[in-house]
Amino acid sequence: MRNALAIARKELGIYFSTPWAYVVFTAMLGISSFFFVNLLATFKEVQGLARVYGWARLPPEYGLFKNLTDGIVVQLWDVIGVITLFVAPFLSMRLFAEEKRNRTFELLMTAPVRPWEIVLGKYLGGVGVIWATLGLTIIFPITLSLFGSSESGTALEWSTVTLGFAGLLLWGATCLGVGMFVSSLTESQMLAAFLTFAILLPWMLLRGLAQSADEPWRSIANHLSFSSQLSTLSRGVLDLKALVFFLSVILFSLLLTHRTVEAQRWA
Amino acid sequence: MAMIEVTGLSKRYRDRIAVEDLTFGVPEGEILGFLGPNGAGKSTTMRILAGYLPASSGTVKVAGFDVFEEPYEVKRRIGYLPETPPLYPEMTVRGYLKFVASIKGVRRGQMAAELERVAHATGVADVLERLIQNLSKGYRQRVGVAQALLGNPPVLILDEPTEGLDPSQRAEVRQLIKGLAGQHTVILSTHILSEVTMTCERVLILNQGRMVAFDEIRNLAHALGQGDQTSLEDIFLKLTAA
Repeated sequence: MRNALAIARKELGIYFSTPWAYVVFTAMLGISSFFFVNLLATFKEVQGLARVYGWARLPPEYGLFKNLTDGIVVQLWDVIGVITLFVAPFLSMRLFAEEKRNRTFELLMTAPVRPWEIVLGKYLGGVGVIWATLGLTIIFPITLSLFGSSESGTALEWSTVTLGFAGLLLWGATCLGVGMFVSSLTESQMLAAFLTFAILLPWMLLRGLAQSADEPWRSIANHLSFSSQLSTLSRGVLDLKALVFFLSVILFSLLLTHRTVEAQRWA
Repeated sequence: MAMIEVTGLSKRYRDRIAVEDLTFGVPEGEILGFLGPNGAGKSTTMRILAGYLPASSGTVKVAGFDVFEEPYEVKRRIGYLPETPPLYPEMTVRGYLKFVASIKGVRRGQMAAELERVAHATGVADVLERLIQNLSKGYRQRVGVAQALLGNPPVLILDEPTEGLDPSQRAEVRQLIKGLAGQHTVILSTHILSEVTMTCERVLILNQGRMVAFDEIRNLAHALGQGDQTSLEDIFLKLTAA
């Protein structure tokens, strides 16, 4: 475990000593701020309409905007989930591909470090950065709780917000796991990023893509789709199935990466 | 017992033979010159010895441990400098050496002293706080040698450690390697044959993946029917002219 932590520290140090982490932070904050401001404007508009016409006379989908949690935060978590899909491949791409290209993989593989320690260390380092990126977005619910208000007294339903945020962290860790496995297969960082995105995007859209399919395929696709699992968590529902699903994908990714690293000994 | 025992070692890449039926041993404390023209199989052999590549057949034992059966035990006893020094350009020299020391099992309490020891031995003490990407090729090479020395491993496998160094730096590293004799077993690969003459008693010469010589330099000169004045370069050229 000591070696895994040393590798994780090294990874974190490298992320923060290059512009990558800061570019990703800026992109995440910039794009999510744009959506936050838009959601806020929509929220205010719908609230205004409700004051004039009453909620009963507004279309049912406007019901979301009755409170800040459902009207802004839950929707924002969905948007950030999609942004993560684009951001994660850029964070995971270097994990193994760069080591192989720079010939530093030889250092790790000839040091008294076990393959699982290399995999775990790199994963922890990568997850640290993606969680730091996602961590920045907690500023949005905090802003709402400071400046917002509701009839019940508290601006936000914090249990929903927190669970949704935990779901996002789990989603980020999942994307990173898949990306790390892809990175272990190639020396090219760009190829690793592209392939990771090419795997994650259809997986995310699986539910929509399978809408026209017959049963049982539609149900199976629904269960296997990232978006189905993520949407329950982001709505603040503690769904054990979703937890098991994401943890299984992470574990499977780590096992596959371990096999790839181990395979070096058989090359 | 030999510190390094290689028996019937072969490495094939599909239809290409990189190393064929290599057998040799290196006793504890010896510095062995590992020579051969480019593509002779030196780096492949060293990578197998260091546990990075598997052999197609044959066995390698370091300190009695089989490199394939017990890689962890072997890696704990080896300091390895590959042909391209494995450096992280974004790290400082100190940060890099600290990282390597920690994955080599150097205890936290001994870390500072160990870093100081190898930094002084390899002449990188004055660049410890600099980023590796800003170092000259010579300094990078020395940082590569420094990482191999961390943890004071009993076996050192050095693939062209003086590559890119100027003559005075080369002399320093040569003195350093010479000073390792007795306590460390070293396999030294280099194209600078005068260095081998000054550092090693025995040499192993590979050509096209096969061992063409493994003996003391003067014995090789005699075996080739030439006198003591024959240079290692003459021997090398004669044995590898295939």
